[in-house]
Amino acid sequence: MDLIDTLEDLRARFEDALKNSAGAGALDGVRVAFLGRSGEVTAIRRSIGKLPPAERPAAGQRINEAVEKMEHALNEAQAKADALEVGASLSHRIDVTFPSIPPQQGSIHPMKRVMHDVCAYFERHGFAVVIGPEIEPDYYNFDALNIPPDHPAREGFDSFFLTPNLLLRPHTSPMQIRTMQQHRPPVAVVVPGTCYRRDAVDARHLYQFNQCEGLLVDEGVNMGHLKGMLTGMCREIFGSEQQVRFRPSYFPFTEPSAEVDTTCPLCRGAGGECRMCGGSGWIELGGAGMVHPNVLRNMEYDPEVYSGWAFGFGLERMALVRYDVDDIRRFFENDDAFLEQLA
Amino acid sequence: MRVPLGWLRDYVDLPADPGAVAEMLALIGFPVAAIETRPVITGVIAGRIAELGKHPNADRLQVGRIDVGDGAPLTIATAATNVSPGQTIAVATIGACLPKLTIERRKMRGLESEGMMISAGELALPEEWFEDGIMQFEESLQPGTDVVEYFRLSEAVLDVEITSNRVDAMSLIGLARELAAYQKVPLRTPDPSNPGGGAGGPKAEITIESPDCRRFVSQIFTGVRSGPSPAWMRIRLALAGQRPINRLVDISNYVMLETAQPLHFYDAAKIAGHHLIVRDARQGERFVALDGSEHELTPHALVIASETSAECLAGLMGARSSEVTDATTELILESANFSGPRIRRTAGQLGFRTEASSRHEKSLAPALTTVGAARAAHLLAQAGATPHEPAAFGQPLTAAAPIDFKISDVKRLLGYELQPQEITEYLDGLGFKAEPQPDGMLRVVAPAWRTDVTCSADVIEEIARMAGYGRISPEIPAVRAHDIASGDYRRERKAAATLAALGYREIVTYSLHGANVYEKIRRAGLEPPARPVEVQNPLSEEQRYLRHSLGPAMVTHLARANGPARAFEIGHVFYSEDRQPLETAMAFFAFSAEPQDEPEWRDSNFLRAKGDCETFLREMTGESRFETAADEREGFHPGKTGVVLMGGREIAVVGQVDPRLLRSFGARLPIYACRMILAALPPYDVPQFKPPSKFPSTYRDLALVCDAGLPSQQVENALRSAAGAWCTAVSAFDEYRGSQVPAGKKSIAIRVTLQKPDATITDAEADAVIEKSVAELRAQFGVTLRA
Repeated sequence: MDLIDTLEDLRARFEDALKNSAGAGALDGVRVAFLGRSGEVTAIRRSIGKLPPAERPAAGQRINEAVEKMEHALNEAQAKADALEVGASLSHRIDVTFPSIPPQQGSIHPMKRVMHDVCAYFERHGFAVVIGPEIEPDYYNFDALNIPPDHPAREGFDSFFLTPNLLLRPHTSPMQIRTMQQHRPPVAVVVPGTCYRRDAVDARHLYQFNQCEGLLVDEGVNMGHLKGMLTGMCREIFGSEQQVRFRPSYFPFTEPSAEVDTTCPLCRGAGGECRMCGGSGWIELGGAGMVHPNVLRNMEYDPEVYSGWAFGFGLERMALVRYDVDDIRRFFENDDAFLEQLA
Repeated sequence: MRVPLGWLRDYVDLPADPGAVAEMLALIGFPVAAIETRPVITGVIAGRIAELGKHPNADRLQVGRIDVGDGAPLTIATAATNVSPGQTIAVATIGACLPKLTIERRKMRGLESEGMMISAGELALPEEWFEDGIMQFEESLQPGTDVVEYFRLSEAVLDVEITSNRVDAMSLIGLARELAAYQKVPLRTPDPSNPGGGAGGPKAEITIESPDCRRFVSQIFTGVRSGPSPAWMRIRLALAGQRPINRLVDISNYVMLETAQPLHFYDAAKIAGHHLIVRDARQGERFVALDGSEHELTPHALVIASETSAECLAGLMGARSSEVTDATTELILESANFSGPRIRRTAGQLGFRTEASSRHEKSLAPALTTVGAARAAHLLAQAGATPHEPAAFGQPLTAAAPIDFKISDVKRLLGYELQPQEITEYLDGLGFKAEPQPDGMLRVVAPAWRTDVTCSADVIEEIARMAGYGRISPEIPAVRAHDIASGDYRRERKAAATLAALGYREIVTYSLHGANVYEKIRRAGLEPPARPVEVQNPLSEEQRYLRHSLGPAMVTHLARANGPARAFEIGHVFYSEDRQPLETAMAFFAFSAEPQDEPEWRDSNFLRAKGDCETFLREMTGESRFETAADEREGFHPGKTGVVLMGGREIAVVGQVDPRLLRSFGARLPIYACRMILAALPPYDVPQFKPPSKFPSTYRDLALVCDAGLPSQQVENALRSAAGAWCTAVSAFDEYRGSQVPAGKKSIAIRVTLQKPDATITDAEADAVIEKSVAELRAQFGVTLRA
């Protein structure tokens, strides 16, 4: 058989193979069988070597032309097959309302989310976030905070004692002292952390809770700055319309002292029959005030030069209001439905 | 403190709406916990029984003709037995509206009754605190007087919270003074002078042996008559939550509620020589209090004693032995001041608290002793007793030290300016004296009852309260730069965010638990911590111990889930060292998973846990390769636990939770966990970019047969160093044990990737590297290539 016949035979078999191959996968087989590295065309090319040298270029060209045609045919068939396949897939119909397959997803605890949001707000305004030990000696917890030796808080009605002078901190305020001991003004910190108090347990009270303390001490710091920062914080946590109200109160480590209320986010301050605020229109957040001059003096800060404010808010309480939760114990029960809803 | 609004209005003009009064109190520092509104009662008037006779048709009824002022007397039948002619009583007229009924004209056994004689209960007063039967009024009350209006029975009662520094405001006058000053209206107070007079009258002798009694005003009253108090006093006491007893006891309670100064009356006949001694109680001294309670005292308690026995437990309650009774004709008044902490501790030790001790324990101002005695003297005189000259013992009263106050501090601390005039007005209203000084100073002297005000900041709070905290206007401070770092917090926050991204759900559990956790550990055949950190004064046994690990709560949490679950916690754990309680912040993550169908030498759940651990550590430290070594750790499976090392230092433990613990904690599925000491994690080290080679890489998969106990990580490491600089990755991807390899051996499939930095690696080059490496491994571990 001469080359022309060989190529003609090849073309015929190629066309047959093409005709008999259905789908893109089969076409790949045809390509390999005819045009692949060890396919038929390769064998024919090798046979050129047996021809007289003068005939070789023409033979090579013939082969190339045949290959070109075969490739063209293959590409066309491929395109046709692809179009057929895509065309068929366009008619598929699925139920898009079927429940999704969720990713393996974790979550941040809702109280911690409030903690991080509060801290992020203060960090944006130039405050550092410091955390401290949960076991504190009485010096940090009482003496340095201007709580006199005879104060009832020291007698174990309110706090859990581990030894006669070590206790589980009932507030985050000891970190005020630790921070002021290590730094000179300006001091601008918030302190989130776990605290413990001997409170009987009910829907609003727990013996373990988390608090966020704030402290700003510098020249020219006043109570308006406290109100400004807390208003901003409440707007960040509860909504852009929040207002903050101060009421006089008493804490040994601040003077003047204040209870801080924010507009009830549920009734927006309207009160009435509101189940969240009990009709007052306000939600109590916690205590605050100007750092007592004795506390500043204990830190060797001159109260005539420096002034400062501090606050301490319960984070579960804030979360309770933010997420409209009915019982503070839920924050420690880790019920899956609870964590899932607030994830 | 329960504050009847009708009583409070004696001293100060107030808005009619109790809500408005409550709001005002809250804004000056006295939040109102509750407003107790009174039921609407109409048509009740005072009536005098003109005649009383038997009902013609009923043995158990009486019929009275009741004088009700204007108009004809009313005919009213009653079943009560405490009525007699001449009494002034409460009468509900036809149409009267009472809490539980409306009075209608009706016939009682054929006789028309024109109203009803009523009891205190029907006026919504605590029935058991008043006379059994019809409510009795004093004779001076005019028939026809509207009872509800006269006694202000429709006025609400406020439950006011008083901060511990303001014991002076644990009184009606104290609160009235605050409201008067805030509203800038006058305060009406009773005559402060003591009517007791005449030198040479009888006097009690007081010996003060303890410095914890700072002052003792005594006064003798003769011609005392007891019996019930007038209705107005009984009603006020009852609304304030104080049970009326008799005229004398009621006066002492009334004065305490009005002035904050607790008083005690002794029956003078029972005090030998009218001599009282304030002294420490004797060890084991027995004391029977007025309420019948018996106490065994220690020298911690302070008593006021006659020469023979303790007659009063100072600041708490008098003794039954010298109690005033209906037979009392002469009494000794005690208006004393004690050390607050001493009274508080005694009350705590004896488990005995009274209205008096709730005030004494907050350290009353000594000057109130004089005020209380004077007020009692007036009330006793009104009741017909003769007051004799009061005598004061103990420390003399001294004026408070003046406070030099810088007017500019108002602006410095509150952020707004006030004129000196305005400041002085506010302080005057509260009873302070403020004298302007040169250079913008004020010399401020606190009133005698305000021992809580001792420094300039205290004065500022008074000014701020009266100006209203609403005047403080919000402002964002420009915080100056400082060098306080947030590192520890940021690490915790990043750890939480990373674990959440890895599919773990954050939980927060209690740090305190009971012995039941240790019992479960013991039931698993394991040892609980030898020296747990213990709370000395737990609220209950369930909260006695501080957790030594986040594990038990985590396992309990995962065991509760219906199926596989994933969770993490970041929190402190506690332990003892040299008897010192210490704590560390830990991160703990874990998942429960269905057991896989795998041979015992493989656990893909462990590999998943390790994968999460490594991903977490990479995010936290910036390091991308970690070594793991098999190890045993309390609480973990002895054969499925590894410690993760970085630079040779242990930074995490990862493994299956000890199955014995799972059983005793009730976990159905296996749990895989990882724990880390957050502070032990190296700080984040920013990775540095190394440009990858532009030339293609090649790889060789090797099946190596080695001892079953040889860790694959060692084989990988050896291959890596043997393969030299062209080796870019070595990773085991399969393991086999069984009939195809000799007993005690395993086959590990490892892929070695090779790449040259400056040229395409040839097959021959790659094969040569591999051949040399396998030879080295053979020499090192006896490893052979699997046929």
